[in-house]
Amino acid sequence: MEELINRENPQKLYIQLEEIIKKKIEDKEWAIGSQIPTEEELCKIYGVSKATVRPAISELVRQGYLTRQQGKGTFVCKKIISEGLTMLVSFKELMLEAGINFSTKVLAQTVMMPTDDLDIKLNIPEDKHIIYLKRLRTADSEPILLQETYIPYHVCPQMLAEDIENNSLFELVEKKHGIKITKVKDYIEIAYPDKEEGRLLGLHEGSAALLLTQQFYSGDTQIMYMRSIKRADRFKFLIELERKT
Amino acid sequence: MSKGKVAKDVMIDVFEFPHIPYWFTIRQAIGIAKKSLLTSEKCHHPMAVLVFDEKYNLLGTLSLKDILRGLEPKFLKPTTKAQVPTEDESGLSLLWDTLFDKGAKEAAEKPVSEAMAPAKFFVQPDDPLTKAAYLMVHNDLALLPVLENKKKFVGLVRIREVFDELSSSILEG
Repeated sequence: MEELINRENPQKLYIQLEEIIKKKIEDKEWAIGSQIPTEEELCKIYGVSKATVRPAISELVRQGYLTRQQGKGTFVCKKIISEGLTMLVSFKELMLEAGINFSTKVLAQTVMMPTDDLDIKLNIPEDKHIIYLKRLRTADSEPILLQETYIPYHVCPQMLAEDIENNSLFELVEKKHGIKITKVKDYIEIAYPDKEEGRLLGLHEGSAALLLTQQFYSGDTQIMYMRSIKRADRFKFLIELERKT
Repeated sequence: MSKGKVAKDVMIDVFEFPHIPYWFTIRQAIGIAKKSLLTSEKCHHPMAVLVFDEKYNLLGTLSLKDILRGLEPKFLKPTTKAQVPTEDESGLSLLWDTLFDKGAKEAAEKPVSEAMAPAKFFVQPDDPLTKAAYLMVHNDLALLPVLENKKKFVGLVRIREVFDELSSSILEG
């Protein structure tokens, strides 16, 4: 049965409508990529005016749930709302939540010495070996994320031989090797991928992308540094802040 | 006889040497060689950087000599004996000195794969040290990879341990 707007409820009508639509998307009642009813149809279904429907839709577009295509209509967005700021959510979990077919291609799983300022980023002496992992992640057969991970060799030498194509790095580090991640520092910025990165991500030269760099800690020891280049048109970050009372 | 000693008895841990992937530039390799070999408190011998591919397979070694060779301009590269008679070409090095700043900086942007000595020869853990000595002498190597089942890189044999073991039997004999 269709959930209806409650006019007795003190909450504004457009906010109630926004919640109803959001629930339909989250419950997969409205599938990813599907077209939602037109403004007129929504007005009819929920017994509200266009003045209520429009701000509700606009807000959901802003939040990344819906996308408008001129002349075609409004669709449930394929954009992934990244909880990447919450450190324990892996790419795999994100993809499963979004109901997207994903895959991982391992481009490198080797050892190197810190070059440029990598020793500073990892907080290790400059003559220490590092495990270098490079993975290209695709969603619905489209490359969307290029991830480079650096782990000091002495922290977890086993990562050199682990199956990182089918497993989440966090699961391997925490569950299999018992290294508890206690803190993550995230830095998000706009970046311009180099030629090779652009080629892998299917981006034109000069296209902007989102760059997420993360430093992972176990207690006071830094155990990992990760650099993720994400296609800006496929990701959106959600930052939820809660005031401590 | 080398008292029955085999490669695995004298091989050293691969992590005694700095590692780099083949796509690093000569400039990056210079930085790493300086930090890991020249200014480190560890005594490295021979001074070399190991070069790997994406799957951690050993591709080659990069000695300080290889790095310098990688910085050389093309006109200093040796010609084959079939092309010209052997001549003292050290005079050309004066020209290199004039061009060093610009030319070498450009050359330093080449990948290390163009300057390294490819890892063509190896021993297996149970091979006798005489085999290691033979390969090192005939191919001018100071370092020889030890591969398990001809695939897994498990260690390195150095000329100093091979020399030490083989020469001991001469002195004792």
